Amino acid sequence: MKRCVVLLLLALLVAGFASGCKAKRHAVAADPLRQAYDSEADWNDAQRVIPLTYDQAQGKRIFYLQCVWCHADSTPAGPSNRSNLKPMPVLMNDGTVLNRESDDYLESIIALGGSAVSKSAMMPPYRQTLTQQEIQQVVAYTRAIAQPAYQTPARPEPKYTTR
Amino acid sequence: MPAEEMGQISRRLRLTFAVTSVLFVVALAISPVRDLLSEWKHYKRAYVRFAQTRPDTKRLLADYRPQIDQIWIPDLGVVDRCTTCHQGITQASLLDPAVPQPFRAHPPIPHPALQWGCTACHRGQGAATEVTEAHETTLAWEQPLLPVHFIQASCGTCHRADLRETPQLDRGRALLVQLNCVGCHRLRDVERPEMLGPDLTNVGTKVSRQWIYKWLKEPRSVTDANGNVTVNGYETEDTPRMPQFRLKEQELRDLSGYLSTLQSKPAQPYHFDARAPAAPGKGSDPADQGELRFRQMFCSTCHSLSVTRAGTTSLIGGDIGPELTKVGSKVNPDWLIAWLRNPQAYLPHSKMPRYQWSDADLYDVTQYITKRLTDPDLLAGVPSLGAPTADEIQRGRRLFVDKGCASCHVLEGMPSQRDLGPDLSAVGAKDVSQLSFGESRIPRNLIAYLQAKITDPLSVNPAARMPVYHLSSDDLDALTTALLSMTGAPATAGLQKLVVSRSQESFHPAGEFGRVYERYKCYVCHQFNSFGGTLAPDLSYEGSRAQRQWLTDFLKDPKTVRPTLVLRMPQFNMTDQEAATLAAYIGTVLNSPDVDPSAIDTKQFTPERAALGKQLYEVKYECQSCHTIGASGGYVGPNLNNAGNWLTPAWIEAWLRNPQKLVPDTIEPRRAFTNDEIQALTAYLLTLRASGKPQGSAQVARITEESLKGERLP
Repeated sequence: MKRCVVLLLLALLVAGFASGCKAKRHAVAADPLRQAYDSEADWNDAQRVIPLTYDQAQGKRIFYLQCVWCHADSTPAGPSNRSNLKPMPVLMNDGTVLNRESDDYLESIIALGGSAVSKSAMMPPYRQTLTQQEIQQVVAYTRAIAQPAYQTPARPEPKYTTR
Repeated sequence: MPAEEMGQISRRLRLTFAVTSVLFVVALAISPVRDLLSEWKHYKRAYVRFAQTRPDTKRLLADYRPQIDQIWIPDLGVVDRCTTCHQGITQASLLDPAVPQPFRAHPPIPHPALQWGCTACHRGQGAATEVTEAHETTLAWEQPLLPVHFIQASCGTCHRADLRETPQLDRGRALLVQLNCVGCHRLRDVERPEMLGPDLTNVGTKVSRQWIYKWLKEPRSVTDANGNVTVNGYETEDTPRMPQFRLKEQELRDLSGYLSTLQSKPAQPYHFDARAPAAPGKGSDPADQGELRFRQMFCSTCHSLSVTRAGTTSLIGGDIGPELTKVGSKVNPDWLIAWLRNPQAYLPHSKMPRYQWSDADLYDVTQYITKRLTDPDLLAGVPSLGAPTADEIQRGRRLFVDKGCASCHVLEGMPSQRDLGPDLSAVGAKDVSQLSFGESRIPRNLIAYLQAKITDPLSVNPAARMPVYHLSSDDLDALTTALLSMTGAPATAGLQKLVVSRSQESFHPAGEFGRVYERYKCYVCHQFNSFGGTLAPDLSYEGSRAQRQWLTDFLKDPKTVRPTLVLRMPQFNMTDQEAATLAAYIGTVLNSPDVDPSAIDTKQFTPERAALGKQLYEVKYECQSCHTIGASGGYVGPNLNNAGNWLTPAWIEAWLRNPQKLVPDTIEPRRAFTNDEIQALTAYLLTLRASGKPQGSAQVARITEESLKGERLP
């Protein structure tokens, strides 16, 4: 009889630990595009779909409202105004040109317009039309669709150390 | 028992006592140990370790507490412990996608997490402290996390009016309306329109039994092996409104037989003015003349035609009315003429305007439609059906009721079958236990259920009456988002107060303007005080924008000011009287409070000013990158060739000051012009006049004098 009690207690113990140390189960792995807020097909390769975060997706929305008319070769309304302009505006996914520019530079060219950074005045300033956050979102979108892909620059070394 | 043994405990009992004591202590320890090893404490400790690897450790750990964190907002019914593990949610430096979850920051949105909680948008269980219980459906907790791909559904639970930031939700809501879902289902914020499908009371006078048979079998759309939806064999991305019902051969025969007998008012042949058919324009074929008129009148703004260019076939034109590539083989020519002359006589709620036809135009256009827009093979593959028998008619009538045709189609003497399908106004809040998945093997969650129901209703319910919809995956996700946003009545009074309702005000003015407005169906394309279509410009403030004479001329002969547009205002051939009525009403009633013509002193528009404005336009601001003047310039904005006759000076000034104030979603960027620059640019724009335009009112004439002086400048 006592053996029974001992066994019962042991069983309780094991069960208690087992439930306490339940293996960490994780959410089912889902389609990465379903996990993304939005997505955009690569401009050069429609088969490759790029997942977009919230910020990038907001940037995409603003891009297709404001920028697409001159910074892409096809627009929702059909033909693009790009070929009509001299100098020809840069394509928004052109990583060879845009990847080497800093976020700050791109933000200021959007906010202040081309003439403020000694480029063509055809690029209007958007400081009063878009908020600072919206401008950052457009830049985030540009980075997401860049071809070749954009690499986030390494964190710069701090100039002054405590030592 | 001997006396010496009294009070002594046997060795065996001692051992048992010792073992049970140890076991007891261990058993008591289980609970504290479990607590120590709990998931959330694991993440608490992991966050501290993670923060120490970051340069801004001090800031990251400023609010750190080793306990459970909780956001409590009684008004919204929020008790969220998500921030217990998601500790970096407000730390701007953790926004980088490279930061591991659960420590990543939330992107900055208009509703910060600490003020609104997490579950209000993301769903899941706020009070849970385990990963699985918080995020997934378990036995005790029903509501799983909403995948971020469908998160716009949560915006829509309170924001019933469309938001710019939620394109996917807005598309889904538009699809709910476009696909006539409200025919069978009750939906939130979607009102039942006057007409869903066409009235079938007289359908036998319009089309043949063979055509009805083919239409019921493949309602315009066929999905080929690659999943491409085609219209009459031509590929398109548009979803047809009439869905595909699963009808058997006998059912097709019965239903087509019954419908072909519906001929209460036979179409009377129209007798053309004897001169019209006999006077072919310039000796050419009336069908050629008709094609020209068809194009000139911009029928393609609402109706599409399939066009083959460079080997690829595509539909060109709008989708407000039906696609017309083969309509000549579909409709009875007498019906066609009667329809063109007065569409409302056949369908009282049709969107088609009643055009002002001359007999010659009507004859030519009908010749074009019946001779050129045809396909001899349209009815190939349809068995010869002959006249329907009494049995077929009777069975067809019963089928019409059984299949719920009267939920979308009106038929005289047949009661409407609204609410045939389930009420969907709270479908987005359904728990998994309330859904029946049948034999299907889809994941057990609401999203998979909704998508299966839309794409293949039989997979979850073999007895479903719901027809089949062929949607692209983007549209399917958009539609799912819109359905998920319908979560019924808000759970708390606090949430109820937050609801931004959808404006449903209609604009149907009375009087002479109202008559012309209804005749030409202005609201199908244009918006008036947020009522109407979105295809064409919003006319709520048109009276402040356009000069009255220009409006009258434009209505008589619409010439686009945006050269890249494919869809343009049709030519209604309206009378002078009608054009004057519309222009007068627009000029006096549809005005913006932000445009004040009395504040404009026309004397300020001197030639010197205009010359300065030209400099500003061409050199400083390079407006020509988007606007065309003469033969050069961009195609983004409207062309300004005739700006001086078109726009009012007050509008130009107000527009240059702040375009978004007048048209909130315009793409023209707001510039920081000085007052002087605004006056100079306005003066310059008013000098731009296309020649040969008749001048109207005295005010217009006065400005002309001023601007003519400007034109003489070098």
